[in-house]
Amino acid sequence: MADAAATAGAAGSGTRSGSKQSTNPADNYHLARRRTLQVVVSSLLTEAGFESAEKASVETLTEMLQSYISEIGRSAKSYCEHTARTQPTLSDIVVTLVEMGFNVDTLPAYAKRSQRMVITAPPVTNQPVTPKALTAGQNRPHPPHIPSHFPEFPDPHTYIKTPTYREPVSDYQVLREKAASQRRDVERALTRFMAKTGETQSLFKDDVSTFPLIAARPFTIPYLTALLPSELEMQQMEETDSSEQDEQTDTENIPLHISPDDSGAEKENTSVLQQNPSLSGSRNGEESIIDNPYLRPVKKPKIRRKKSLS
Amino acid sequence: MPPTGSDPARMNRKKGDKGFESPRPYKLTHQVVCINNINFQRKSVVGFVELTVFPTVANLNRIKLNSKQCRIYRVRINDLEAAFIYNDPTLEVCHSESKQRNLNYFSNAYAAAVSAVDPDAGNGELCIKVPSELWKHVDELKVLKIHINFSLDQPKGGLHFVVPSVEGSMAERGAHVFSCGYQNSTRFWFPCVDSYSELCTWKLEFTVDAAMVAVSNGDLVETVYTHDMRKKTFHYMLTIPTSASNISLAIGPFEILVDPYMHEVTHFCLPQLLPLLKHTTSYLHEVFEFYEEILTCRYPYSCFKTVFIDEAYVEVAAYASMSIFSTNLLHSATIIDETPLTRRRLAQSLAQQFFGCFISRMSWSDEWVLKGISGYIYGLWMKKTFGVNEYRHWIKEELDKIVAYELKTGGVLLHPIFGGGKEKDNPASHLHFSIKHPHTLSWEYYTMFQCKAHLVMRLIENRISMEFMLQVFNKLLSLASTASSQKFQSHMWSQMLVSTSGFLKSISNVSGKDIQPLIKQWVDQSGVVKFYGSFAFNRKRNVLELEIKQDYTSPGTQKYVGPLKVTVQELDGSFNHTLQIEENSLKHDIPCHSKSRRNKKKKIPLMNGEEVDMDLSAMDADSPLLWIRTDPDMAVLRKVEFEQADFMWQYQLRYERDVVAQQEAISALEKFPTPASRLALTDILEQEQCFYRVRMSACFCLAKIANSMVSTWTGPPAMKSLFTRMFCCKTCPNIVKTNNFMSFQSYFLQKTMPVAMALLRDVHNLCPKEVLTFILDLIKYNDNRKNKFSDNYYRAEMIDALANSVTPAVSVNNEVRTLDNLNPDVRLILEEITRFLNMEKLLPSYRHTITVSCLRAIRVLQKNGHVPSDPSLFKSYAEYGHFVDIRIAALEAVVDYTKVDRSYEELQWLLNMIQNDPVPYVRHKILNMLTKNPPFTKSMESPLCNEALVDQLWKLMNSGTSHDWRLRCGAVDLYFTLFGLSRPSCLPLPELGLVLNLKEKKAVLNPTIIPEAIAGNQEAAVNPSSHAQLVGFQNPFSSSQDEEEIDMDTVHDSQAFISHHLNMLERPSTPGLSKYRPANSRSALIPQHSAGCDGTPTTKPQWNMELPRKGTGKEQPPLELGVHAAAAAPLAVFSAEPAPSRHGDHHHHHHHDHKKKKKKHKHRHKHKRRRDARERARAPAPSPAGGSGRPARSPSLSD
Repeated sequence: MADAAATAGAAGSGTRSGSKQSTNPADNYHLARRRTLQVVVSSLLTEAGFESAEKASVETLTEMLQSYISEIGRSAKSYCEHTARTQPTLSDIVVTLVEMGFNVDTLPAYAKRSQRMVITAPPVTNQPVTPKALTAGQNRPHPPHIPSHFPEFPDPHTYIKTPTYREPVSDYQVLREKAASQRRDVERALTRFMAKTGETQSLFKDDVSTFPLIAARPFTIPYLTALLPSELEMQQMEETDSSEQDEQTDTENIPLHISPDDSGAEKENTSVLQQNPSLSGSRNGEESIIDNPYLRPVKKPKIRRKKSLS
Repeated sequence: MPPTGSDPARMNRKKGDKGFESPRPYKLTHQVVCINNINFQRKSVVGFVELTVFPTVANLNRIKLNSKQCRIYRVRINDLEAAFIYNDPTLEVCHSESKQRNLNYFSNAYAAAVSAVDPDAGNGELCIKVPSELWKHVDELKVLKIHINFSLDQPKGGLHFVVPSVEGSMAERGAHVFSCGYQNSTRFWFPCVDSYSELCTWKLEFTVDAAMVAVSNGDLVETVYTHDMRKKTFHYMLTIPTSASNISLAIGPFEILVDPYMHEVTHFCLPQLLPLLKHTTSYLHEVFEFYEEILTCRYPYSCFKTVFIDEAYVEVAAYASMSIFSTNLLHSATIIDETPLTRRRLAQSLAQQFFGCFISRMSWSDEWVLKGISGYIYGLWMKKTFGVNEYRHWIKEELDKIVAYELKTGGVLLHPIFGGGKEKDNPASHLHFSIKHPHTLSWEYYTMFQCKAHLVMRLIENRISMEFMLQVFNKLLSLASTASSQKFQSHMWSQMLVSTSGFLKSISNVSGKDIQPLIKQWVDQSGVVKFYGSFAFNRKRNVLELEIKQDYTSPGTQKYVGPLKVTVQELDGSFNHTLQIEENSLKHDIPCHSKSRRNKKKKIPLMNGEEVDMDLSAMDADSPLLWIRTDPDMAVLRKVEFEQADFMWQYQLRYERDVVAQQEAISALEKFPTPASRLALTDILEQEQCFYRVRMSACFCLAKIANSMVSTWTGPPAMKSLFTRMFCCKTCPNIVKTNNFMSFQSYFLQKTMPVAMALLRDVHNLCPKEVLTFILDLIKYNDNRKNKFSDNYYRAEMIDALANSVTPAVSVNNEVRTLDNLNPDVRLILEEITRFLNMEKLLPSYRHTITVSCLRAIRVLQKNGHVPSDPSLFKSYAEYGHFVDIRIAALEAVVDYTKVDRSYEELQWLLNMIQNDPVPYVRHKILNMLTKNPPFTKSMESPLCNEALVDQLWKLMNSGTSHDWRLRCGAVDLYFTLFGLSRPSCLPLPELGLVLNLKEKKAVLNPTIIPEAIAGNQEAAVNPSSHAQLVGFQNPFSSSQDEEEIDMDTVHDSQAFISHHLNMLERPSTPGLSKYRPANSRSALIPQHSAGCDGTPTTKPQWNMELPRKGTGKEQPPLELGVHAAAAAPLAVFSAEPAPSRHGDHHHHHHHDHKKKKKKHKHRHKHKRRRDARERARAPAPSPAGGSGRPARSPSLSD
């Protein structure tokens, strides 16, 4: 959206939020403009011979005026963009006014009418600026092949990277603390939710909410849940496998009192229990040629009468 | 001599001297088992068996087989219809009307009942008469083919169906069935000779749904579709002679995995578990290699199958060429704790393949050889796989277990010999059960029996060396494999049976050593040795004066005479001394080597050649002794209590390299709470080279010492700084490192230390706040994201630690436990437990270890009065449908609640579960837990102990558990724990006229007759009025007949029955057995069955009709059930009995009626009407006169 429409829209929103106590500069700006419009309407009314007007009617007229001006701006912008320009010219405005059914020829005479009132320029309010926080880094200049009238590049953080300027938390203790409490909170919230939404059991007869236990529900095939690793565990397994997490990256974690030869000895001792999944996996490919009676195809029944079983 | 009686003389014969002598008058050579229909919906099985039998005596006229539960439709021998009777006294051990309630009586009756059907004594439940047409054929000792059609409906034991109740076809639901049982239990699912000593070759056929797989013994020859292509038939051939007891079956929609290393090995598991199966079995080939190498013998079968099934009866069951495992042994690569356990189970089952399946036993008293050898070679595997430390630690554990058990119960006898069958000679009179049969043994006794067996094998190895030992095994195996290849010389097959004497002979042949004293001490005799040792050092003579005393008078002990090794660590080195323990010598002088006293600083040589520096300042300046060990090699089954000074134990702990010595030192140091002990333990804890199990037990010892030293303890709580140093971050000591369990030793230590720390108590006997915060922090900062392994066991132990920290609540005026007065520490604990338990619902852990720990912790909180005691939570977790570990933990809590709160309601709930739970293991386990943690004991007054409970339990063991030996023995154990051996004290005095005979041990009447004879008039129990009548009737024969409270009719009946039975069974030509034969016995029994349906109507049907009258006792419970729909639960088990089909066989006893008293007549008629009401539609309505009515036809007659 181009500026004209943006301003108009902003003016509109200013109206809507007029009753609110506005605090930020943008709102102030819009409020000021609206006040100017009100002055304009009032003077026009005086010109027309009114001595007083109800607030509501002034508001209505202001609204109409604002809408009208906004529409002029919006249309003018469309016309200018239609002709591949970014700045509206006078002719754009004229076409707009004509389009809106306004007789342009009457305009100079009206402007020069004798009884017109001159109102003071609105107090200069500073343009609303985009908050500083968002302008991060230097905007890149246009490369030579892009015409200069093209819009500027957006802030680099929006499409290149977002630098953060706060010190990352690297304190191991805090991190662990955070991870632990986060996990605990999630777990507690989750289990509480499950307990609230389902059947529960309680350890205290008088209180069912402090220590709610999700009710025990029998499974039809209990051994499956008991033996198969959960999806989460599987996922974790994959992660640890892929990143070879045997050595912990955190230096705090390296057991300092264990000398290297010690750990070697341990490895040796524990090797008994270590499994070798790759071996069994690789052998599976050969199974197709294994002659095992359970892998043989099932025979079709013979034509002869089946062995009498009765 | 009644034919059903046990034959002690035969059982007792000296075995092995002249080979094997079969107790049967025939030899079984081949058996076909064909199951052509399995219905998972109805849980039923239909099939037939065909036994190929060669008579070994000319006048063979009856063949006894084993069969339980099966409904037998028809028996044919060489295509001729054969009559049969079915009589199982174990169904109801004692007369249900009997007022006897003492366990002595029951145990005797039960042992007698088991003897009466014991295949090792040539007996059986099913007695088939050889048709007279074949007598000539038999006299020529020609082959007989016995064809039996049977079905099995809702079996309660033997075969276990698992049918999950979800949508879909049976295969999609994961429904499966498998054979199970304790010892020889094959008779529960097909008729056979259910003895380990009757070997034959097998053909097995199973027709199952096309989506299912049937796994059985031997080679799968082919799989063929049925004509409709909906089912397929698996044909198995087992050419290695095998006993029926080693036949097994598993059918289900199994996923198949061919072992990548050994293609003849196939693994099966339930759907979706294939990845776990792959991982779990990836190690098996190494076990194979190990056994084959040490035994220098190939695996005897051509293939091997492992099947992992749900709701397993036992974790491991080994059968010929296949093993059935619990599916709960499967695990993924992330699980640490289960891995060694599962591997051990696999290795155990494989050892039993060689000894137990391939090599079978001659008789029950030879069982110890098989269990011993398989346990021993399994131990060798342990040593090789897990190392010497683990092995020695295991041996010590096993030794401690057996010693504790024997001292508690009075001894485990490996090789029982029964003299003359008299009860007086019962070698196990200290026990409340008979050890004559495997089926009467308490399960705990049997586990301990196996434990002792392998320990004794190890003792033999000590004596003759391992090399000879393995040679003996090899010899046994090669003899057996030679014999097994003799396809047509079935008499050779007995070489595949091992006997005690045969085994000992091999040993003496191979080693040339006499191990008879050793055998006499540990095998032929029960009991362990209890040593007390103390010493003094005589400085002048430089001699160690050692005093070794024995306690051989307490129960479970025996006197030891022989060598005993003592190792003395002196300053100059370690020296072994072998003392001769003799009758009267208590003192032994041992010369010391070290003369000099630390005048020069030098290293001290240890046993293993290592030389170490020691700080000797703690020593007694006058003595060169560092420590003394008695029997360091565990060469005696013993318990040693040795007295030495605390510093000696500390030296032993620090410097002795044997883990057993370290373990001993740790348990001794508990009694010395001194700073020096503390230091020694801490040093061990820190030593990376030290065996992790020693370090783990050092944790607990340190906690105990710290508690004893609480007033003088300085510094942070024990182990805290150590843990911080080992497992916490350096910069922030309150935060534990992210988990990395790559080093298993430190993993186990990390798991254990907090559990031990939680046992610490401050001066107020509370867990120090610091410790609790520490554990809560461990839980809080636990981070497993970067770990290769699952931390479920670790987290579970953290919850255990929390539970350990709980101390009894301070209660003011017994206030009701509410949330408001909850201790803030407990609130924190409860918070954690709640979160863990709830998270388990969303992200379940492996085997639900965390739920299990949470349940235990909640029970601890309840018990300590922090949380209101309430069993409802546990009861919901104990329901069927939860994972078995959870159920057991929950049931344990309920059992505990029952005890603490003396709740009758919960006890009833438990008893109900014992009878009705679908999972046999859970039923067994409840009984077991009730026995271990009984609500009351015999020496205790309790409101729970009342007559109804006595009756209920009596009923449970008498008849309610006949389908499961293990369960019945469990019930006997519980009864013993609650009421003792004699009549329970809570019972009212017996009514006059029904006097208990306190001498019933001397029962004269053949015990097998008692139960069945008594069982004859069941309706007495049903009908109180007739009961009263019977009671009023005094027994005029009692002096001559028996001392039981058998009413007169029954006695009369039984006599008549016996003589009649005899006559019927023995054909005229048979010499001997029958002393008199009523002239009318045959002629009175002209068959009156409907005409024309049988080609050979003369003898067989007649026999079939007249004999089994007494069997009716066993058949009646279903009738009662039918009449009284609300009959008590224990009776329900009988619904599985083959009742309806054979009722017709059983109640045509009119030829007896003339002997009956009038009253009896009345009963009979009543009885009959009831039965007839339930008769199958085919049976014509009987005439009211009963006896003269024509018999209802049984299926066996009608075809």
